[in-house]
Amino acid sequence: MAIRNLLRGTAAVALVCCAGAAFAEPLKIGLVETLSGPQASTGLFYRNGVIYGIGKINAEGGFGGEPVELLEYDNQGGPVGAADRVRAAISDGARIIIQGSSSAVAGQITEDVRKYNLRNKGNEVLYINVGGAAMELTGAKCHEYHFRMTPNADIIVNALLDGMKENGALGENVYAINQNYSWGVDVQNSTLASAERLGFTVVEETLHEVNKIQDFSPYVARIKESGADTVITGNWSNDLLLLMKSAGGAGLDARFGTAFLDQPGNIGNAGAIAEGHFVATSFNPEANAEKSKAFVEDYKSVIGHYPTYVEPQGVFGMMLLKEALKAVEPTEDGLKAADLVVALENATVETPMGHMSMRAEDHQARLPMVVQKVSRDAVYKADESEFGFVPVKLVSAEDAEQPVQDSCKM
Amino acid sequence: MNFKYIILFAAVALLAVLPWLVSDSLLNAAILMLIAALFAMAFGLLCGQAGMLSFGHAAYFGVGAFASVHAMNAFDGEGLLPTPLLPLVGAATGLVSGILAGYFSTKRTGVYFSMITLALAELLHALAPHLKHVFGGEAGISSFRMPAWGIEFGSFTDVYYLTLVWTLLSIGLLYLFSKTPLGRLALGLRENAHRLRFLGYNTHALSTLIFAVSAMFAGLAGALQSLNIEASNYVVLESQISTAVVLNSFIGGVRVFLGPAIGAAVMTFFGYISSDLTRVWLLYQGIIFVLVMMFLPRGIVGEIAERIKNPSCDGLAQTAITMAQRIASLAIAAFGAVFVIEFLQRVLSTEYRAVARDGHWPDITLFTYDWSPVSAVPWGLGIGVFALGIRLAIIVNRRAAARQEAQA
Repeated sequence: MAIRNLLRGTAAVALVCCAGAAFAEPLKIGLVETLSGPQASTGLFYRNGVIYGIGKINAEGGFGGEPVELLEYDNQGGPVGAADRVRAAISDGARIIIQGSSSAVAGQITEDVRKYNLRNKGNEVLYINVGGAAMELTGAKCHEYHFRMTPNADIIVNALLDGMKENGALGENVYAINQNYSWGVDVQNSTLASAERLGFTVVEETLHEVNKIQDFSPYVARIKESGADTVITGNWSNDLLLLMKSAGGAGLDARFGTAFLDQPGNIGNAGAIAEGHFVATSFNPEANAEKSKAFVEDYKSVIGHYPTYVEPQGVFGMMLLKEALKAVEPTEDGLKAADLVVALENATVETPMGHMSMRAEDHQARLPMVVQKVSRDAVYKADESEFGFVPVKLVSAEDAEQPVQDSCKM
Repeated sequence: MNFKYIILFAAVALLAVLPWLVSDSLLNAAILMLIAALFAMAFGLLCGQAGMLSFGHAAYFGVGAFASVHAMNAFDGEGLLPTPLLPLVGAATGLVSGILAGYFSTKRTGVYFSMITLALAELLHALAPHLKHVFGGEAGISSFRMPAWGIEFGSFTDVYYLTLVWTLLSIGLLYLFSKTPLGRLALGLRENAHRLRFLGYNTHALSTLIFAVSAMFAGLAGALQSLNIEASNYVVLESQISTAVVLNSFIGGVRVFLGPAIGAAVMTFFGYISSDLTRVWLLYQGIIFVLVMMFLPRGIVGEIAERIKNPSCDGLAQTAITMAQRIASLAIAAFGAVFVIEFLQRVLSTEYRAVARDGHWPDITLFTYDWSPVSAVPWGLGIGVFALGIRLAIIVNRRAAARQEAQA
């Protein structure tokens, strides 16, 4: 079958080539996402968001009068697969690479794109990062052709802490428990850095193995002993679910402030244990209800469900790209990457949550954040449970913004 | 014998002119195939020739990969270590780590040996994320291939030739190694280690040495990968990499010399092509492994070699006809199975669930035709074609068996 499809593919490519000779090349965008294997579920969410976003770009005329073409590549979950899929995408003619589901893959792609651009001056490609949250990507590894459309650890933690403080849910003693790798360390550092500003003490910080721990009760016992009112954690997947379940089982009386509580399956699994816990993300359908409703209904009509988890991030990233593409005139060779870089730096778009724009100094997006609380009163329920997320604070892009890292030298 | 050399020469010549024959994207696939082939050959030396099944070969691959990335950054591809010689760093570190790990793991044999190799690899894998300076944490360590010897090393073609030369050289060395007394002793180790010991050989030292040589070539393959992607990340230490090399080698045929290399090249190419065509390529990969183990336990290359060595009494023409019939009927069955699997995957996909609502089931396009999932036609067609293919294969097999019986 592989051969059959290969032949068909080759024929199609040949057709496209011949057609291309007559008309201007359409702009090709390569989505290099994790589409198979254990991490595929997150990759598929980003894919949904991007597909919806590209649909919107094409609905408004695409680029240079031609619809934008989305090429999909499976990075097979790791940096090695991603490295050669990026090459494949570029040799297939992609001028923009999009990816989101892992910071490790993002680290590889951003470096690959940087090196490709060094070797191919005048023929550069862009990397639009819709999900990699590691601080490093807009820090030591930042470069002109990388754009992060998603909040980083600093933005998420600060918005979360502000929102919890305003709602009187922060308390004075905070416990930071995180996974021991770049993301967890970033969250811990951001938590420690905000302690003075918001007047709380970090009673203890813990870094633990990533997705290997089956029983969190010793950790929960330590949290209990420390007398913490609040637990701040960047944990995701099983590490978050099992931690919350252990805490529920041990009767721990502390609020959780999280970054990934909205990952599908969490609320359905945790049930009442998650009630009253907080999460900060870049979208909630109840915030700015009128605009959001139009967006979520339209999204549902295209993708089949309301946007959840990281899907809105993907969509907002594409909205900013759409604005930037409008400001760029296609040259004879199609898109000139340097023009798009300037256009993206100057683009502003109105998402259902508010203004979103791109900071020129380090290419970190400025975007509004929503602090939310798990509650039975939510209009949009999660995982078909009786719980959902109720917004408690909408942080504007200006308030959510965090300073540029010193390590970023463009 | 001459025939063998002609094929070998033709294959090398084909590899040498490949950059003029295929597109950049396929050349990229060829680089990955060469690296996977060399890694599998290193594994094949240990598992096929010396009979030691290692479940942790990713460790030595990874050690070589990281060592060469660090060397790339330290030397900038100049001075003592210009870019083309960087794989030597991977080979050296692979050798050293192989001597250390081999000393411990070869103290035991059989399943205990496998468990120790697995444990050592997991040890390194668990340690790597914590040693951010050595392994670069989650983002890995990145480097840049510097020009050397008047070559840019920027294009696919340059990297392809670099990989090709090192891979062919290594496979040649591995072949020569298998002809040395030490290489012959490896076979003795596999067949009867006790007898070797009674004959006065130090089997522990022998196993350690062979383990180290295998780890050396694994490290070299790792270094080639680092050179290729200009980075290294601790995911190369994952057990998935160790498993892949075991599967690839067994699919190719671990006991024939080039079996692991061809198995690895074929499976890498399969993954490269199919992962963009279908979401369920891992399922196909698993099915292929199960089928090869069930029906071709010697591996693909092993089976072909066996057929050439012991030709059936039918004569060449008849064997070729039977083979063609078998392959044709299996291709029919495979088409049926792929049709059903792909159709099922599309029906169950989120995109389809998005449009299929309120009892309305729109048609699905598969192989350029539209099919309705609620009608029996596509399901019946897929299952029917599959059954037809299997039935044909059974008939071909029965005929062949009957012919052999008549002749006997």
